[in-house]
This record gives sequence, structure tokens and C-alpha cells, in this order.
Amino acid sequence: MMSKLIAQKEGVEYLLMGNEAISRGALEAGVSVACGYPGTPSSEIIESLCRVAKEGNLYVEWSANEKVSMEVAAAASFAGMRSLCTMKQNGVHVASDFLLHLAASGIRGGMILVFCEDPGALSSVNEVESRYFAPMIEIPLLEPANFQEAKDMTRWAFELSEEIKNIVMVRSVTRLSHGSGNVIFGKLPNTKRQAEFRCDGPILDPDTGLVFSAPVVYKHQLQQEKIKRAEEIFERSPFNTYEGPEKPGVLLITSSICYLYCREAISLLGVEDRVGVLKFGATWPLPPSFLKRHLSLTDKILMVEEVRPFLEERVKILAAGMAPEMGIKTFYGKETGHFPSVGELNPDLVVSALGKIMGINSYVGMPADYEKKAQALASTKTPQRDLTFCPGCPHRASFWLIHNALQMDGRRGFVCGDIGCYSMAILSPAGGFGVMKTLHSMGSGTGIAGGFGKFGQFGMEQPVLTVCGDSTFYHAVIPALINAVHHRANMILIVLDNGGTAMTGFQSHPGLTVNAMGEEAPAVDIARICEAIGVKVEIRDPFDLEETRETINRLLEDEEGVRVLILRQICGLSPEKKAAKRYEVRIDEALCLGENCGCNRLCTRIFRCPGINWDRQKKKARIDEVICAGCGVCSSICPAGAIKREEAA
Amino acid sequence: MEDGGMGQRELQREVIDTHLCTGCGACVGLCPYQTSYHDRIILLHPCDIKVGRCYMFCPRTPTNLETMRKSLCEEKDLTPEIGAVKGFYLTRATDEQIRKDAQHGGSVTTLMTLALREGIIDTAIIAEGKENFLHRGVAVNDPAEVKKRGKSKFIVSPTVAEFNRAAKGEAKKIGVVATPCQVLALAKMRLKPVPVDEGNIDKLKLVIGLFCGWALSWRGFMELLRKKTGLDAVVGMDIPPRRHTLEVYTKDGTIEFSMEEVNSCIREACHYCFDTTAEFADISVGSARLPGRWEETRIWNQVIVRTQRGDDLVQLARAGGLLEFREAPGEALDELKKSAMEKKRTALKSIAARSGSSPDLLYLDRFDPVVRMLQG
Ligand SMILES: Cc1cc2nc3c(=O)[nH]c(=O)nc-3n(C[C@H](O)[C@H](O)[C@H](O)COP(=O)(O)OP(=O)(O)OC[C@H]3O[C@@H](n4cnc5c(N)ncnc54)[C@H](O)[C@@H]3O)c2cc1C
Ligand code: SF4
Ligand code: SF4
Repeated sequence: MMSKLIAQKEGVEYLLMGNEAISRGALEAGVSVACGYPGTPSSEIIESLCRVAKEGNLYVEWSANEKVSMEVAAAASFAGMRSLCTMKQNGVHVASDFLLHLAASGIRGGMILVFCEDPGALSSVNEVESRYFAPMIEIPLLEPANFQEAKDMTRWAFELSEEIKNIVMVRSVTRLSHGSGNVIFGKLPNTKRQAEFRCDGPILDPDTGLVFSAPVVYKHQLQQEKIKRAEEIFERSPFNTYEGPEKPGVLLITSSICYLYCREAISLLGVEDRVGVLKFGATWPLPPSFLKRHLSLTDKILMVEEVRPFLEERVKILAAGMAPEMGIKTFYGKETGHFPSVGELNPDLVVSALGKIMGINSYVGMPADYEKKAQALASTKTPQRDLTFCPGCPHRASFWLIHNALQMDGRRGFVCGDIGCYSMAILSPAGGFGVMKTLHSMGSGTGIAGGFGKFGQFGMEQPVLTVCGDSTFYHAVIPALINAVHHRANMILIVLDNGGTAMTGFQSHPGLTVNAMGEEAPAVDIARICEAIGVKVEIRDPFDLEETRETINRLLEDEEGVRVLILRQICGLSPEKKAAKRYEVRIDEALCLGENCGCNRLCTRIFRCPGINWDRQKKKARIDEVICAGCGVCSSICPAGAIKREEAA
Repeated sequence: MEDGGMGQRELQREVIDTHLCTGCGACVGLCPYQTSYHDRIILLHPCDIKVGRCYMFCPRTPTNLETMRKSLCEEKDLTPEIGAVKGFYLTRATDEQIRKDAQHGGSVTTLMTLALREGIIDTAIIAEGKENFLHRGVAVNDPAEVKKRGKSKFIVSPTVAEFNRAAKGEAKKIGVVATPCQVLALAKMRLKPVPVDEGNIDKLKLVIGLFCGWALSWRGFMELLRKKTGLDAVVGMDIPPRRHTLEVYTKDGTIEFSMEEVNSCIREACHYCFDTTAEFADISVGSARLPGRWEETRIWNQVIVRTQRGDDLVQLARAGGLLEFREAPGEALDELKKSAMEKKRTALKSIAARSGSSPDLLYLDRFDPVVRMLQG
């Protein structure tokens, strides 16, 4: 079936996920090259483009990391084509060194960076604001507020980019990227640009010269002129809008998904005739005249945005300059405590802030104890589950082994963590797996371990381990590993190789034999890279519990330099497994010791695979056949041999 | 002991954390929560069972020795110094090969082999020397396999863990060679303090105890050895009487370690040990402490027979000409008793130093008659 993303019909409405709307916008803009590094909530943009790569004559890749993805996309722009790169919020920080230089050198074909942020960190270990890169690096920033805008602004961003010959940032957030709504399609272009890199013209010619950031002062000035130009364009942008009465009592200034919260709050309070909404879609640089016109409408302004006061600061700076003519305004927002500077907003928060300013407290949203009650109700109906590894997850076995090996070693060794499903080992329940003691950005576990591994001279005796996923290995572990090897750090790197970028949904990575577009690709072998760096590598299956545990203990005892262990076992949810069970697993109740001395519910109290439940009445363990992934590991840990497994037919 | 708990938590607090743990292995192999690694007991995961076998079997949790003497020995045989004595002999194996492969006279190997051959036991649990002195208990069924595993391992082997494992399996009649702490653990198990798997301990048909002054801690001893010789070079070791040295036999000759050097490697738990002669065994065996050259006397054993089944086995070996007997000099037994009492006295002092108060004797009972005798 042809994807609706490349439906030719103009003016037809389709239900799209926010990220798909962004993809469609790029397709309507005639994008040729799209690259990204997977990261929630951004991944579906590249994924959906992969699916139409062939019909759409696109080149799409999952790059090794965000910086590389931006570099590949930049090459497309230098060759005159339109290109897109995508990442999650912190990805921009990974790419920022290149982004900084790219913004200074300028681009040719339209190029946009779509970054999807995660206010409230629903699936991140940070809620960083990457909007600040726009003023810092001096490039324009757009923020769609709904699904239609997600498409339209993406398409327009390419035009803007070509107009000012610089990269344009487009920001989405989880609720937009992962929500769905109706989008009216525009036209798809039917020709693609020819790729050619022209570099034989006059050195400083933007279309035929050299592409670099020098002479720095000259190029910097040029870049600032581009921003000035963007500002002028934004003065007339249809994405900056005002809705409301001519003389509102309060003006809400907002952007992105918060626009919807503002509208809902106004309607909940029934103050349509007293409150106006100034919505910015083009948020940096803010167009001063447009802003002034609307600030002049009222004296009270409430700034509504998530996490940091990005708009608030800029609006206040501009308003300070306008004060002699415009008069002094009262601003409400984060700095006055009307909104928190952390986490997501919602309509209730806007209602309460607006109500406070207007002296309305008639509206009662959710009662304060609603959440508690809802949770209490939910827990009586659903079995208690912790945030834990999935059934059949190789990480459960791997961390079980690492934990046991460290206990046996007895020198208080620890694991420097990294980002991935395996980060869960930092949250461990009741001592079963809790070995991860630091957790930062991708690849930083190895860098940190390399540091710890040098502290023997200061009396550090604890063994140092780090873990990374296979995708993370390519992303950012290699330089840290080289550093550790060169400096003879005493550490063990355990690569948890589950055959894909599991956490974000099995995107391809350089270790696999198929690329993002489904084409055959040469796999880059982790073990051979390590060997080339000069490290001895061992490969084990984490499901071979005893052998692998012995290996880890042996590696812990070899106190020389860097040691690498690859624990290879495919993710329980991998599409490759097609949900097939390797084993049928059942409990022999006659053998199950339950709470008695000799077991004390090892499987459900410590191992805690969601596939095993505790039958309170019978006082026996029970396999939940629907949830059990059939890995059979539990049968190896049961001390009574009560968990039976048989090769599934 | 808080809220009457007698489980893993208390084991950790009273035995492991206080370095009283002997590494005997009695708490291992019963459940998935404890294991042994090198010569240490590892608590892998927390267990919250109130009364656990680990705690109840451990030779370093509170033990009523008097009850044990009364229920496991014949009262008429009891001596305060070395427990029950039904007979006291000097013996050695008549089989020269056994003697060559043994620590001293090869009496232990001879008796264990005989018990297997006669069907007194079907499984013998003995210590196996492993690479890098990482010893462990093994269960064997063939007498020839016993002969391959002679010689003393001066770093503890978690032998009782192997008993726990074997008792769960096919074995019906098990014999164990054990150090005094291990023998004490087995004796505690025989009193069946916990109503779980009681049948397992009934499979224990023979316990041969080894005399024991102390054992070495693995990490400390490895470091000491590495300083003086390669680990591979070591073929055996011994503690000659009265010389206050540890002899380590290597391919290139004997290295002597002074007691000062060795002291720092002695397992801390051994300082708190109250038993030299494995008082609750069926038969206890040590080296002969005869006047004369050590090189000559070391090929003899002192043997204490403590129980009827111990006596039956020794007499069987005598009748079959497997053990050679020699007149024990009159003062031998007295000397043994004296040195056993000396160890007890030192242990009481160390225990009081550890607990910080002399009435608190940790695992020992201050009203125990032997304790009271020593404390005067
Ligand atoms: C740690 C230790 C300290 C000792 N200290 C003294 C002492 O101070 N005074 C003294 O007279 N005798 C001591 N002995 C006993 C002595 O070394 C001999 O084991 C004993 O004399 C028996 O000699 P044999 O020739 O009959 O033994 P063998 O015929 O060689 O048989 C010895 C048997 O003991 C088993 N064994 C060896 N080491 C261990 C161990 N660590 N745990 C459990 N089983 C083991 C072997 O597997 C073998 O089956 C000690 C033994 C040990 C292990
Ligand atoms: S086999 Fe065991 S560990 Fe694997 S999924 Fe099923 S219950 Fe979980
Ligand atoms: S002395 Fe024996 S039973 Fe007690 S903790 Fe140590 S190994 Fe376990």
C-alpha cells in the first residue's frame, strides 16, 4: 500500500501524527536528503520518510550520531539540494559544534534542523531547551503550534532557509510530535534537483565559492544581516497571529503546543471577550514592530510557554526598549511564579495563572486529589508492576550477572551508565540489578569509567565497569574507548548488543546488515573495532548465566587496562523475533518452594520478570503466558528447578 | 538478634560483617541467596525469611555446645579439652602410594576409601585443590578418586556447601572430611533446628574431622606467596609442630615462612575458633606430634575415635591391614589436650576483644561448662 505521505491530491485532509506532518511538509518542499539519529520524540520523522524513500526518490539515513547526521544533510545542501536532519532535544547539543560552524559558513540548498523536545522528560533523562541555540548561534527558529502548522511551517522553513542562505531550526514537542490531527495536504513537486557541488567560483561567492566560516568577522556580519532579513520576513509571517478583542484586558503571548492550552483555558473561563492570544510561530528573531503593535493593546501580559522563559526574556528585552514610547507593561510568567520553569504545562495551569491575574476563581479543574484517587483506583484493578525490563529482555539477564559478579568480587565495583533501555539498572528494585551508579549522555559512561580507571594512584580499589548499547557504541563510545586504551585506564566496557536501537524502536545502526531504507549494508563489527584499537574482546550470551558470570569475574580479576565484553542477545521485542517464543515455560507447582527457606520467591521478589506472577492464594509462582517472552532464563535461576522450559514447537 | 530474626540479615550482621565467618559453606547451596567465591561467602541478594537454615546451621551463630555434646556423644567418653574420646591411636596407611600422596600418614584417605568400598557410604565429600588455591568440596563415589585428592588445603574449602548440594541429589549415604568448623556446622545440622529438608542430614553417615590450628585467608596468602615464589611452583605445605613456621614445598625445595609473616594471612575467623580436634566428628585425625625428627614423625597420624561408627571403621581398617598402628607415647594425649585448651583460651580472649565485653562471647555461651572452666 502506498503511504498517504506521498498522496498527490492537493487539498485533501488526512489524519497524521505530528511527526508525519513534518515529513509531509519536507516532501512538499521537495526534500532530497533526510538524516537523523533516533531519539524520542523525533524518530518517526525519519522512519516515515524511510518508508517513502523509494517512491519519493529520497536518500534517507539513520546516521551514527546527530553531528554526523547534520554533516550529511549539510553536504546535500552544499550540493544544491534541500535537506532535513532530525534529532531529539539533546541531540542538538551533540551536533552543536558543527551547527555553529555551519551557521557561519552558510548553506546553499534549503536545509532545516527539526528537533523534537520533551518537556517534562516523558522519555528522556533531561528536559533541556535547545531553543536557546537559535539566539546563541544566530539562526532562525520556528515553532509550529498544531498539526497543520507542523506541515506548513516545515515546508516554508526550506524557503526561508534558501532566502537567507542559512539553516533554519524547527522545534516540535512530544505532544505535537506524538499527537495526531487532520492536515490538509499541499502540492508535491514532481522534479528533484540535480546534485552538484560548485566550488570553482570566487572564494567568497555564496553559490560557487568555498564553504567555510572565514574570514570570520566578515562572515559573522553576513550572518547577522541574514538574521535581520529573517526578522523582516517574520514581521509579515502568517504564522505569527493575534486572536481576540481589540482591547483585551490580558494578552497571552505563547508559542508551540501551549497555544492550544491558551485557547482551552480562555474557553473554560469564558473570557473570550476579555483575553487575547498572541501566538508566535516564528519565535526567533522576534519581529519587534509586530510585537509592539500587540503589546500596545493592553497593560497586562501573561507569557505562556513550557520549561525555560525563552520568549518571556526576549519579549521583555524588546519591551524595555519600547517603554519610552509604549509605556510600561506588567508581565506575568515564570519570573512572577505564575508558571513553573520545569515540566509540561496544561490547560489547568493556564486557567489558574490567568484566573489569578483576572481575579476569577470560579473554575474548578480537576480536584487536587484527583491524581491520587485515580492511581489508587487503578492499582486495585491492575497488578503492581515496577518500571523494569521487559519480559525476555537480555538486559535483565546481563544486569543480573553483572550484579552477581560484582557481589562475588566484593570490592564494591560499580557501573558507569549510559542512555538506553539499560538505564533502568539505575532504578533497580530491591537490590536485584542496581549496579548502575552514574548516568549521563550517550557514550559518557565509557568516558567516566576511563577517568575512574586512572585513580589507582590515589588509592581507588573499586573495579570500574561501564555499559553501552550497540547503537551507542557507534554514536559516542569509540572516542572514549580510544582515550581509555591509550591512557591504560583499568576498566571493563560491557557492550549490551541486542541487535538494534531498541529503546527508540529498532532503527538501523552501523552494526546491522540493512540500512534505514531497507537496503543491504556492510555491518561494522564492534569486536573488530575494539581489536583494532588494541583491546581484547570476549563475546558471550547473557542467557548462558553461569559461563557469562564467570567471564565477568575473570575480567574483574585481570586488573590490566581496558577489557571489553560483548553480551550478545537479541532484544525480546525485536521485530526479527516476530514475537516467537523460544521456550514454552511453566511452573511445576509441586516443586515450587515459594516463600520457604530455600527460595523465598527469588523469581518474583528479586528477578522480577513481568512474565512471572505470584499467586497469593496458592503461594506459588505462575507464568503469565501472555506476557512471557519465552526466553527461559528464569528456569536457570530457579533454585528448585520448578520452572520448566521446553523448546517451543 | 533483633525481633527474634534468625535469617540472612542476622547472619550478615553477626557473622559476615564481624569477620567471624569460617567459609565452611554451611549456608551455601541451600538457597539462591548465598554463594561462595574464592574463600569468601557472598550474599547475592537480600532474603527476608525470619528463621533460615543459613543462620541456624552456621557454626558461628549462637551454639549450645553442651546440648550437642549430650546428644551426639556418649557422656562417659567426654573430655573438656578434646571432646569425646573412645580411642586414641597413632596410625598410618600401609599402602605406600597413599602415604606418598597424603599430607601425613594417609589415614584419612585410607579410612574414606575403605568406607566407600565397604558401602558404609556411597558418596565421599572431600576437598579438591584447585588452581590458585581456590579449593572446593567435591563429591566422589569411586575410592580411586579419593586417593587423588589427598593433602591438606590450608585455605578453607566450602566443603559443607558440597554436602548441601549432594544431599539434595541421588546420594543416600554420605561421608565428609571436614575441618572443625565444618564439623560443627554438620553437627548443628544433625540437631535439625529447622523443619526443612530434614531427610538430607540423615544421609550423613560418617564425618572424619581434621585437626586444625588455623586456616589461611586467600587474598592475604596469595600476596605473601607472590612475593616469594610463583603460585604454580607450590606442591604442598605444612605446619611442623613446635617450629612456629609454615613450610611451603615447591619444585625447587622448601620455603619457610615465619609465624609473623603467616599471622597476617590467617583467616580472622580462626582467631575466634574454639575447637582444634573437630570434637563432633566420628573420627578426628591430625599429625603425630612425636619426639624426634619431624621428617620421620610426619608420616604418622594421631587419631581420636569418638563414636561407635568411628570405632567400627577404624577396627575394620586394622583387621584389613590397611592401617598400621603404633604405640602412642603416654604424653602424646596430654600434649594434645594442652594445646587444644590453649587454642580455646586464646579464642575466648579474641572473642571478648571483638565483642568489647568479656561476658559477651558472641557465638559461644558463657555458661558452657568448658568455657566456665577456662574462665576459672
Ligand atoms: C586448614 C588445616 C589446618 C590444619 N592444622 C593442623 C594442625 O594444626 N595440627 C594437626 O595435627 N593437623 C592439622 N591439620 C590436619 C593435617 O594437615 C592432616 O589433614 C591430617 O593430619 C590428616 O592427614 P592424612 O595424611 O591422613 O590426610 P590425607 O590422607 O592427605 O587426607 C586429607 C583429606 O582432607 C581433605 N582436606 C584437605 N584440606 C581440607 C580442608 N581445608 N577442608 C576439608 N577437607 C580437607 C582432603 O580432601 C583429603 O581427603 C590441618 C588441616 C587443615 C586442612
Ligand atoms: S521465560 Fe521466564 S524470564 Fe523469560 S520471559 Fe518467560 S517468565 Fe520471563
Ligand atoms: S561460618 Fe560457614 S555457615 Fe557461617 S556464614 Fe561462614 S560459611 Fe556461612
